[in-house]
Amino acid sequence: MSRKVCIIGGATTPFDYGPTGFESIEGGAAECVKETQQDVPEFSLRDLDLMIYSHFSVHFGHQLAPEWIIHDHLGLVGLPHYRVENGGNTGGSALYAAALAVMSGHHDVVGIVGWETMDTVSQSQGSEFIAMASDIRYELMVGGIYPIYYAAMANKWMKENKVSEEDVATIAAKNKNNAMDNPKAQWYRNDHKYITVDDVMNSRLISYPIKKYDRSLMSRGVAFLVVCSEKYAKKVNPNHYVTVDGMGLSSCTIRAGDRLNNPGWKERYGPGYPEMTEFAACRNSAEQAYKMAGIKDPVKDIDFGEIHDAFSTSEAQIYKALGLADQTNIAQFIRDERTSMHGDIPMNPGGGLLGYGHPVGATGLMSTIECYYQLVGMIPQKHLSRKTEVPNPECGIVNSHAGTGTSISNFILRRH
Amino acid sequence: MMAAVTIKKKKNKFSEAPVFTEKKDYRPEGVKETGLAFVGHEISEDRTTMNQFLHYDQLYTIRHGWNSKFFIGLLDGKIMGTRCPKCGDSWVPVRTHCWNLDCNLEKTEWVEMPLTAKVHTWTVAGWSGRSSLKRLPIILVYAVVGNSKVAIANELHGLKPWDVEFGMPLKIVFKPKEQRIGAVTDFHFEPADGWKPSPMNKEKERIKKLVEPVYEWVKTLK
Repeated sequence: MSRKVCIIGGATTPFDYGPTGFESIEGGAAECVKETQQDVPEFSLRDLDLMIYSHFSVHFGHQLAPEWIIHDHLGLVGLPHYRVENGGNTGGSALYAAALAVMSGHHDVVGIVGWETMDTVSQSQGSEFIAMASDIRYELMVGGIYPIYYAAMANKWMKENKVSEEDVATIAAKNKNNAMDNPKAQWYRNDHKYITVDDVMNSRLISYPIKKYDRSLMSRGVAFLVVCSEKYAKKVNPNHYVTVDGMGLSSCTIRAGDRLNNPGWKERYGPGYPEMTEFAACRNSAEQAYKMAGIKDPVKDIDFGEIHDAFSTSEAQIYKALGLADQTNIAQFIRDERTSMHGDIPMNPGGGLLGYGHPVGATGLMSTIECYYQLVGMIPQKHLSRKTEVPNPECGIVNSHAGTGTSISNFILRRH
Repeated sequence: MMAAVTIKKKKNKFSEAPVFTEKKDYRPEGVKETGLAFVGHEISEDRTTMNQFLHYDQLYTIRHGWNSKFFIGLLDGKIMGTRCPKCGDSWVPVRTHCWNLDCNLEKTEWVEMPLTAKVHTWTVAGWSGRSSLKRLPIILVYAVVGNSKVAIANELHGLKPWDVEFGMPLKIVFKPKEQRIGAVTDFHFEPADGWKPSPMNKEKERIKKLVEPVYEWVKTLK
């Protein structure tokens, strides 16, 4: 019988882009640890018995093995450490690795530091760096960057599911407006405005149907999270810990065009799925997580989520992959505002990638931390108001997503 | 106690190295490998914050190895695919071993594909990576070449961006031989001969409205 996995706290730096004067990554990691200690005074760095570092691209960081700098800086020399890299799902994969370490009984208290510094190069060069996680032999130089691949997938998905540009624009406005209640969110700190569906519709074309306000933000940011055994959680933070009751990790093809007739998916879900439109790895990893956590009906059993809205269109696709709606009712599900703060299953109350930001290695951890804050009742102290607090939540979902849906993880977190 | 073993220096390697006889250099002007160099810095007025500029420019060798026939095919104006002799599936982009687990990584055979394709899905890009900005707007399609089991991404030329359609028939058009470099940019898609766009509709008008400012913006790029 594997052991229960708990989360006792965590924090992020503000997410930002461009010069602010506090760009030091190891310094940012130290500040995240200190904020966690303010929230959980009993937690000491001496309690850690493993450090996992979550970082996507050394292209941005211009430093190989940069985790070694952070590790030294935190005074953790001697403690085992390694880095997890899995594209946009780096944060989720690091959490998966930490949870496995605790479950196995080999480690008790695992720290995760995640970060990305995407403002070391120009925006368009940054897009190109990220696109180097596509198959560069076939896709990089044919005009291809991720928003274009996602747009091609979403365009077909939206038509097949009768989801309109306006429908996904409501998701973009929702998340960016949620971020206006979150002082660490990049949208709050930089753009700092409430937007309407019309603003999204009128924003510049990125790749049809995706426009400027439909896409997430390139960011600089650091996050820290403590994953541990229940024994340790009860010792240091008995009233404010959550349990990781379910988790799943799955994969799909690197090139989106390769999943039309994939033998592996045909074996699992029958012919014609996932086509080029569905996030099969999301469905598959959610099914694993639901089974483990005993989730029968996700809409009823899950109270809210922090999910990987790299694009407004992908958030809509994720709703379907998570089983919140199907082809017959996904458009209505969005139009009924089920995932807004006044809906029955709010998604991305923290702002998501569209609002909080997307410093790749820190992103999945940010989602986990926001989910944790909601579940333990810390939103009033972390957000600017209670507008983005989910009322009395017991169960949240965290979703982390890479490539063109190439690696996706899902976690079910419950209030203790 | 173990007996000492003398390891003789091997004269031959385990496999023959290819002899490269055809070499081409199409390096754009100004691209050079300078390695790592600190090339400047800036300091804030109050002297509390410093940014330093590191330049890193490195030549990579992409060894296409067993995939080489596809890229050499491009130089010859051909689309080479692979086919599994066991299950009969074929692919462009190619796989050198079949991924159907029942075929147990069977080595595939090379087949020349027809220069025809069909749009599986599409998008019209108004933004891209640094090296593609001047070519905007770009119609990017994922298209199925011949009887391939998968779709390949490439640009679609020869029509207004708002006229692209799902399922439209395509032909593969190669650059003139002397301009080819053995990369997927050697070819693009064009509508098949005889294809005519459907009349304007609401969605086409919408795409046109989104795309028009992109043409203007590209003109401002240096």
